Amino acid sequence: MNPILLETILVCVGFLLLLAEAFAGGVRKSVFGYGAMVGVFGVFVLTFWIDAAAMNSEAAYSVYYSADDLAVFFKRFVLLATFCVLLMAVEFAPVLQKYLPSSAGGAGLGEFYCLPLFACAGMMWLVSATDFIMIFVSLELVTVSFYVMVAYMRKNALSLEAGVKYLILGALSTGVLVYGIAWIFGILGTTNLVGISQAVAVLPPEKSVGVLFGLGLVLISLGFKVAAVPFQFWVPDVYQGAPTPVTAYLSVASKAVGFVVLMRVMDAFFVAPYYGDRLLSTVAFLAGMTMLLGNLAAIPQTNFKRLLAYSSVAHAGYLLMALASVASGGAGYAIAFYLVVYLIMTMLAFAVTIVVSKSLGGDNISDFNGLSKRNPWLALAMAIGVLSLAGLPFTAGFFGKFFVFVSALDAGLYWLVGIGAFSVACGFYYYLKVLRAMYWLPLSIGESENTRCSISLPLGALLVVLVVLTLALGVFPSPVFALMP
Amino acid sequence: MNRFEIIPWVILFAPLGAAALVLFFGGLSKRLSAGVAIFAAVLTCVLSWMLWFTPLPAEGAGGGVGIGWIDLRPYGCNFTIEIGLLTDYLSRLMLLVVTTVASLVFVYSVGYMAKEEGYSRYFAGLCLFLFSMLGIVLAENFVMMFIFWELVGVSSYILIGHYFGKNSAAEAAKQAFTVNRVGDFGFLLGILMLWFYAGTFQFSELLGATLPLAGGNSWILAIALVLVFCGTIGKSAQMPLHVWLPNSMEGPTPVSSLLHAATMVAAGVYMLARIFPVLENSPVALTVIAWVGGITCLLAGFMGIQQNDIKRILAYSTISQLGYMVMAIGVAGNGEVSMFHLVNHAFFKCLLFLAAGSVIVGMHHEQDIWKMGGLKNKMPFTFLLMGMGALALSGVPPFSGYFSKDLIIEWAWVSNKGLFWISAGAVLLTTLYTFRLYFVVFFGPPRSDAAKKAHESPLVMILPMAVLAGLSLISGWPILAHYYIHPAHPEGVPFFVSLIIYAFLLVGMVLAGMLYFQGPKKDPVLIPFFANRFYIDDVYGWGVRVLQGGFAAICSFVDRWVIDGLVKFSAVVAWGFGFLLRLLQVGNLQAYAFYFGAGAILLFYLLLAK
Repeated sequence: MNPILLETILVCVGFLLLLAEAFAGGVRKSVFGYGAMVGVFGVFVLTFWIDAAAMNSEAAYSVYYSADDLAVFFKRFVLLATFCVLLMAVEFAPVLQKYLPSSAGGAGLGEFYCLPLFACAGMMWLVSATDFIMIFVSLELVTVSFYVMVAYMRKNALSLEAGVKYLILGALSTGVLVYGIAWIFGILGTTNLVGISQAVAVLPPEKSVGVLFGLGLVLISLGFKVAAVPFQFWVPDVYQGAPTPVTAYLSVASKAVGFVVLMRVMDAFFVAPYYGDRLLSTVAFLAGMTMLLGNLAAIPQTNFKRLLAYSSVAHAGYLLMALASVASGGAGYAIAFYLVVYLIMTMLAFAVTIVVSKSLGGDNISDFNGLSKRNPWLALAMAIGVLSLAGLPFTAGFFGKFFVFVSALDAGLYWLVGIGAFSVACGFYYYLKVLRAMYWLPLSIGESENTRCSISLPLGALLVVLVVLTLALGVFPSPVFALMP
Repeated sequence: MNRFEIIPWVILFAPLGAAALVLFFGGLSKRLSAGVAIFAAVLTCVLSWMLWFTPLPAEGAGGGVGIGWIDLRPYGCNFTIEIGLLTDYLSRLMLLVVTTVASLVFVYSVGYMAKEEGYSRYFAGLCLFLFSMLGIVLAENFVMMFIFWELVGVSSYILIGHYFGKNSAAEAAKQAFTVNRVGDFGFLLGILMLWFYAGTFQFSELLGATLPLAGGNSWILAIALVLVFCGTIGKSAQMPLHVWLPNSMEGPTPVSSLLHAATMVAAGVYMLARIFPVLENSPVALTVIAWVGGITCLLAGFMGIQQNDIKRILAYSTISQLGYMVMAIGVAGNGEVSMFHLVNHAFFKCLLFLAAGSVIVGMHHEQDIWKMGGLKNKMPFTFLLMGMGALALSGVPPFSGYFSKDLIIEWAWVSNKGLFWISAGAVLLTTLYTFRLYFVVFFGPPRSDAAKKAHESPLVMILPMAVLAGLSLISGWPILAHYYIHPAHPEGVPFFVSLIIYAFLLVGMVLAGMLYFQGPKKDPVLIPFFANRFYIDDVYGWGVRVLQGGFAAICSFVDRWVIDGLVKFSAVVAWGFGFLLRLLQVGNLQAYAFYFGAGAILLFYLLLAK
């Protein structure tokens, strides 16, 4: 099967659902959510039948679309993330409904289930993109979908504010990206990554500075995407304001594809040592700052989503550390593995947050107080999630960090490993705050132990799967390696 | 994966499955717990015998089935750990011993534990132990072995502390665990050191990888191997870490029999036999091992002759016999000499403990031998079977102990005359304390009411003992032994060496007979220095109290005033820094755009300023 059919099918499913939603008035809205999940899962299954050889090498798209192992691996990754997000979205619908203009029976909910499909298709294109034009277009598809989703709770000031901030800063970063592409195109005469890597190899040194400037602009824009310091300022506000499933989506899928694009772009420039050294030292510096700032700023947070936002910055730091050691051999495995682990544990944390905030009406850390007495199993799932985020052995997060640190040590980035170790220690502090709230702190005044959070069957199943994966990969990480590019 | 590649995995995981089943569903019925556990043990035993009769894999084929646990080699990073099971000759032999003895002890436990508390917890613990022990036996690399090594420690902790309501049992469990940690620390250091210099954890690659070390700079290899040997010192209760083993007798007697006599404590010896080809390249390490073993073997014998608790006497004899095995690693020409004694010892020592358990049950949990006496008529089967065990332990031909122990002592003669006299002298002690125990318990007048009312144990306890007695009779016969083991025989040992050993044996027996056969009311020989175990325990107690207590006080002081201060200081700094960062997060869009621009300038500086 031709790989480009995957995205086509997904977009068609999205349009079909939109149409059906417009015409089928009496149907419960969650049906569309499940429909979207079926579509995503179907495409996920189809990824095992694709055949890169079926692509017409004469066709125009073959120069800007690649279906290599890296692309396929992350297509599956994005699809799974979208699946989890849709499941959470269905669960989150009642909260969403409260902040929509019309609170009548599901009005305005349908689009919320279709937008992730478009974003997902955009991300699938993005991981395949081998041309700056393709990168730009699919990045815009993703970002525009996200603008809408972040600001979806129109009657909620926080969500609107988040949407506006994301829109304006996102537009700024897009502008920077285009500007960078223009510089690169202006000097090298091509936007294709393969062409670029051929061109920079023979470029005379006096022209290289201009390319480097363009590359810097691209790096800024991608740094914005993956929430690298100092381009992370949008993260806490947007993460806190956005509907929780969207936050999860942003922090997992959007970040992951950002790293894939970073890897592809950096790869194109590594042929010339002039760029390679500068790029790596810059990325290493960003990694150090990101780890430090993400972890330190997370410490005083009291809102759990905001805490996860900073933790997401911190995780971007660890990933950048792996990226900075990419030249010494395949640190790509560390990034891919880390992202998989990050998907699992972040989804776990957000899923529990949705359950708690739905029942108790808030997502502050204090809302988790005494959760172990109300819902011991839910608290256990959350405990495993945050311990994995912190990187405790026997959880998947441990091996994620372990491989990142191993690759950084291999690359000789000892100072960065030192910063990383310090950051991990900080991480334990604020992740364990959640644990403390759940297991040691008493319930807030006026609440009884009997108000339990209700968990629906699908979300419960998702939680069980994520917990099992977290623990299983914490003992035996090899299965992921088998799937890796 | 063919049938024979699956068998080792089934052997390993059947007990774990049983442990889980017993733990979760054991509460339903006692019969179910015991049934599941025994089924698992017997299954592993049958499969081990099947495995024994399958042809050995070709030399160098590894003989195991491994799956990569962590393998970063495809990614350009030289780091790999495999989970693999090694089914070479050595592990097959050990499998036979462990599973056979375990099956018998499991069956015996049904009788012994019948009226005890925590029935299913006990069987779950036994299954967990079996799983861990089989893991050590089958491990194909040091990482796996270390993991299971620790698991064995955990299950030992659980089983020693079975009667955790009793303070002494809880203390003994804690002590066993802590003392083992000391040894394991060295073990881990040794493993890491070998890995650092040789670059591998795999047993199959270890010899080749350490050969370069064996040449000029052999001190590295010697230090690494001696550190690895620390694991044996802890697990196999060698001097000076032997103190936990006698105290571990607080556990139920079948546990003492299986873990603390026949199998678990032998794991250290097994590990040495496993790396014997590497050890051979380091004469220094071999010398250290030989002397630690020899000294242990003699001193434990001295301690044994003055104990009054039936299980403790046997515990010191276990330490002493383990000393023989460890010494054999150091003096003998191949690892099989030590394994030969390990196999024989597993049978007869397990038998002795089970018999002691039978006596204890018959005596209503009285363990002081000076309250027993005249049991030979009340417990005829136990009397007979324990007699066979005692003869085997003393090394009286044609019982199995004779063949392996004589061999070890002959090797000692070849290697070092000092070690020869030590190990030969220990024969006298062995015979003395064994028959002291035997005569006092079974002959003479009953020394208490319980002894007068003692009764024979049920068949379910007698039968496993009978099987073990049969095994301890025949397992050493050369005509049978050559089917399973080929220990090297030393050359040039004069005939009088055997005579010396016989002489020591006879003297020990006659001495025991003279002193104890007539049924004295109390011990006619009182040597407080031996009875108090050379005061080693007291020295340790004092050391722990004074040194460790003092050190802890200093630590506490430093912790409270220095470290805490630092921690609090850094916490405040981190928090303050975080708070400052939070101030940056003004929520104002223009500010964010400004930061973005500032960040861009920073990035350009980094990228272009070279």
